[in-house]
Amino acid sequence: MNVISKVIELKDIHKSYRIGDSEFTVLKGIDLQIEEGEFIALMGPSGSGKSTLLNIVGCLDRPTSGQFLLLGQEISQTSDDELARVRREELGFIFQTFNLIGRISVLKNVEVPMMLSGVTREKRKERALKLLESVGIAHRINFSPQNISGGERQRVAIARALANNPKIIIADEPTGNLDLKNSNEVMKILSNLYKEGRTIIMVTHNPEITENCSRVIRLRDGRILENAS
Amino acid sequence: MNLPDILEFIAVGFKADRFKTLMSSLGIIIGVMAIVVMLSVGEGLYSGVSSQFSSLDLDMIQVMPGSAHFGGPGSENANRNPAEPAKFTDKDTKVLENVVGVKNVAPRSSANVVVAFRNTNSSASLTGVDPDKEEDLKDEVAQGRFLTGSDYKSIVIGDGVSNDLFRMRITPGNKIRLYYEDRYMDFKVVGVMEEAEQTSFGGPGSDEDNLMYITHKAMEELKGEDNYYYGNFQVTVYDPEQVDSIIEKIKNDLKRYHKDEAYDATTARDMLSSLMSVLSMIKYALAGIGAISLLVGGIGIANVMMLTVKERIREIGVMKALGATTRDIRMQYLLEAGVLGMVSSVIGIVLGVTVSYLIGSLASLPSAITYQSLVLGVLFGVVTTTIAGVYPANRAAKLDPIEALRAE
Ligand SMILES: Nc1ncnc2c1ncn2[C@@H]1O[C@H](COP(=O)(O)OP(=O)(O)OP(=O)(O)O)[C@@H](O)[C@H]1O
Ligand SMILES: [Mg+2]
Repeated sequence: MNVISKVIELKDIHKSYRIGDSEFTVLKGIDLQIEEGEFIALMGPSGSGKSTLLNIVGCLDRPTSGQFLLLGQEISQTSDDELARVRREELGFIFQTFNLIGRISVLKNVEVPMMLSGVTREKRKERALKLLESVGIAHRINFSPQNISGGERQRVAIARALANNPKIIIADEPTGNLDLKNSNEVMKILSNLYKEGRTIIMVTHNPEITENCSRVIRLRDGRILENAS
Repeated sequence: MNLPDILEFIAVGFKADRFKTLMSSLGIIIGVMAIVVMLSVGEGLYSGVSSQFSSLDLDMIQVMPGSAHFGGPGSENANRNPAEPAKFTDKDTKVLENVVGVKNVAPRSSANVVVAFRNTNSSASLTGVDPDKEEDLKDEVAQGRFLTGSDYKSIVIGDGVSNDLFRMRITPGNKIRLYYEDRYMDFKVVGVMEEAEQTSFGGPGSDEDNLMYITHKAMEELKGEDNYYYGNFQVTVYDPEQVDSIIEKIKNDLKRYHKDEAYDATTARDMLSSLMSVLSMIKYALAGIGAISLLVGGIGIANVMMLTVKERIREIGVMKALGATTRDIRMQYLLEAGVLGMVSSVIGIVLGVTVSYLIGSLASLPSAITYQSLVLGVLFGVVTTTIAGVYPANRAAKLDPIEALRAE
């Protein structure tokens, strides 16, 4: 009996890019298992392949070789539509540059994932309002994302990542563009999510932040260095 | 993603980029407008002419010098050798009257003259008739009487000549003077014709109302030429079914006196069908011009959509990261083009109908707005923009999410 306590299993993952005639390998054999409810900090020097790995885990990209199981499901061979469904329903993304849609309101931004899943208008508005309230943005719902501060934007992005109640949160340097105060606020929200039992995988350059995490994984030159807790 | 959500997204985009949206739809608006206007004016010409001609009786044959055809390759006598136009006289009246099946032969001649009434001049057309052969015209007299065989300096005028040509109305009993080239003659008005039936072709004051009738004797005197010839014969037959065979007989029998001269006998139907084919060609040529402007509009839309996709490349990446499928994105951008086309077409139609109406009333050019032209306008507008949207929409749908997210 294999209970899916392991939400993510990577076996010998390679990722290489073809640049002209030569091949450039970014990930050189990643083996990694992540249990449900872990809060992982992914660290490493610039160019070590953190974002590349995160994109594979986030089903935005496919590995060149190796095996990738997400919630027990083999991902490397599934269709683009199925990957889109997994992103929509099982994953929530938080980006360094927030990536809110500028031409629709804060509220609508949070509604987008639910809109893509076909949630009814009333239900998704209700949930979006609740989520925005929980990240402290209830007073900005009708603003354009262009007219709110960076910290506020990232909190909106977190609300959006939670819209479809995903098991796994994928965050690539979520505090990378924020000042200390806003970083702390975002980290507080993330550690609350961790306490709620969500699995979080976060790339960060800031060692202080990793205090909140359950495990730190270090990457160097496309390989995992050590597993520390 | 369902339809209302996509439409909401599209509406937001249009609102945010009002100027760009308007500019991009301008080509389609103009194209649809052009199609509607062209088809309406074309249809107006077409139906105007056909209603005018359908009022002509099918038991009528026109015999005239030269060729009555419009010179198409199908017309047999047309300009094969440029023969002299036939000179018609009373001998020909006899010949025509002797053709089996012919009921009446009305010889006519015409001239454009200047009418003088109480020191004012105006021009009108004058027709010389044989009053005994014009029973039909006698029924159309509104005031006074029609001409009789013994009339000489009497004239019957059309409703337009009576009412519209001069400041004062001309009524039976008035005297008018007609100038033809350097000659003139005084006439006494004995009758006024009824107002001609309104046809959309020509509008008010149509030629028919500006006609005047005098006897051939008076016409001969007014023209003052050495030899007086008839301009044409209006031949009525007993049985409209036999018109074609009677035409053949007429052509044959006239050969005796006009061996080397050109003449022709046609029915209203003949003229109608050749004129109609020319008109429908004009109509579709006009619509073709509209279609070309639409094509240009479509290219404009495709361009703007490509720009939009480029502008929103990052948004598309975000949508994909959040789980939008290829189909979601494709639908969004196809529909964006389609809605743009629909809205532009409707605006184009409103403008087209307005312009057609203005052309109809101001330039007194006939125009008839038909459902066909409206449906064609919208159809072409929507189809063109949707086709124009296919390529940009596919480009958007096939974007790699990671690359799209990295774009600036
Ligand atoms: N599409 C691509 N084509 C070619 N090379 C790529 C591509 N994407 C990433 N790389 C290369 O792969 C390497 C790892 O990139 P990655 O973005 O994963 O680094 P990172 O660890 O996230 O760095 P940072 O801390 O700066 O974000 C880099 O050298 C980068 O140039
Ligand atoms: Mg990175």
